[in-house]
Amino acid sequence: MTASNLPMARPFLPPYLLERVATGGSARLRECARHTLLVDSRFRARAGAVTLPPGSERRGEPARYVHSAEQQQVLPGKLVRREGQGESGDSAIDEAYHGLGATYRLFWEVYRRHSLDDQGMALLATVHYGKEYENAFWDGNQMVFGDGDGELFNRFTIAVDIIAHELTHGVIQHEAALEYAYQAGALNESLSDVFGTLVKQYQGEQRVEQADWLVGEGLFTDRVAGRALRSMAEPGTAYDDPLLGSDPQPGHMNDLVETHEDNGGVHINSGIPNRAFHLAAMALGGHAWERAGWVWYDTLVDQRLGRNSDFATFAGLTQDNAARRFGATSEVAEAVLAAWRTVGVLP
Amino acid sequence: MLRLSREGGLAHFPGLARPRCVHCTGCSEEQLGELQSLLLALPGASVAEAGNDRRRFCVALVGEGGEVLWSQVVAEESAPQALLAWWRRAEIAPLQKKTDGQA
Ligand SMILES: [Zn+2]
Repeated sequence: MTASNLPMARPFLPPYLLERVATGGSARLRECARHTLLVDSRFRARAGAVTLPPGSERRGEPARYVHSAEQQQVLPGKLVRREGQGESGDSAIDEAYHGLGATYRLFWEVYRRHSLDDQGMALLATVHYGKEYENAFWDGNQMVFGDGDGELFNRFTIAVDIIAHELTHGVIQHEAALEYAYQAGALNESLSDVFGTLVKQYQGEQRVEQADWLVGEGLFTDRVAGRALRSMAEPGTAYDDPLLGSDPQPGHMNDLVETHEDNGGVHINSGIPNRAFHLAAMALGGHAWERAGWVWYDTLVDQRLGRNSDFATFAGLTQDNAARRFGATSEVAEAVLAAWRTVGVLP
Repeated sequence: MLRLSREGGLAHFPGLARPRCVHCTGCSEEQLGELQSLLLALPGASVAEAGNDRRRFCVALVGEGGEVLWSQVVAEESAPQALLAWWRRAEIAPLQKKTDGQA
């Protein structure tokens, strides 16, 4: 409540003051703005200069570091478990450690990628971030997990696909660096969901028909009327709850949501490419990471995938990559094309 | 009217992202003073934050006719505690007409 210390005896935002708020014209505002810029540049300097701990020099072995913020909002917090150390007994710490391992394993064992940058980059996670903090995010260098509020959300490390989702944002950052807005942002989100579920399926050795194709199953408490954050098989059906609202994801281009909220609907419209992946994987059967997963991975690392790519560009590249890896008339190429047609991205 | 919404994060929940309102006419002098200071001291215009799935606060002053007079986006990490407190209070109950209240 620090702001209340400032004496303010004027009426609430009369027009002239309002204008200043809007334009940043007053001396005081300029001072504020300058201060903010300073703070920002310090933040950025810190973010840019973050010295990650040593990575792994041995291909095939991860370098994991799990920290605890101890309910504060500090990063990275106190180092509580590093590579090779045994169970800590704290669920969030151990789930994060194993989730990092499971993600590393999929990318290495299937796609021969040595960590996020393919150079063995250290995998950093911070758990117990904030008090009852109900979110998980990638900050550009590491993943961050809250404990959830216990009312709607459990701790965010509970779902391995969420851990893998956050780490995949790190992979994308080192590859196409898809802009986090509108269709490019929805592709960024979708790729994170795709590799999130692939990590879960690979860990469980699941065939496509055994997988749940949900994102974040287990995150909701029993009080929520919902199964997960998203459904890749049936976008828009994951939850319908009085507090959370109803799952807004479309599964077809006809229902693409045009909004400025959520960075232009990045977590909304990702339903469309998510469903395309699900359809391709289901048509091919077997293990999703083996064929559909390869096509999506080839596209994720494809130099032609630009920062502002839209769904159609991405779909075209998956078609091309399917043809390159499996043959132009292969079952895979056909399944991929049919999937994008079904969701209305390709004619 | 001040409209506050918290959006972004790992998923878009329409229910949680729903804007919350503070009706200025129902606020005490003290509360208005606090709000004014808060708005004036908000961190600068939206900065493209690094990373993904982050949350942020959208703050807007809305006129009688529903028109947005001024708005700003603040990253969750740089949002002042007082703003969060207002956002929480706005959730529990839309501010009632009161002549006095704790700021
Ligand atoms: Zn994400």
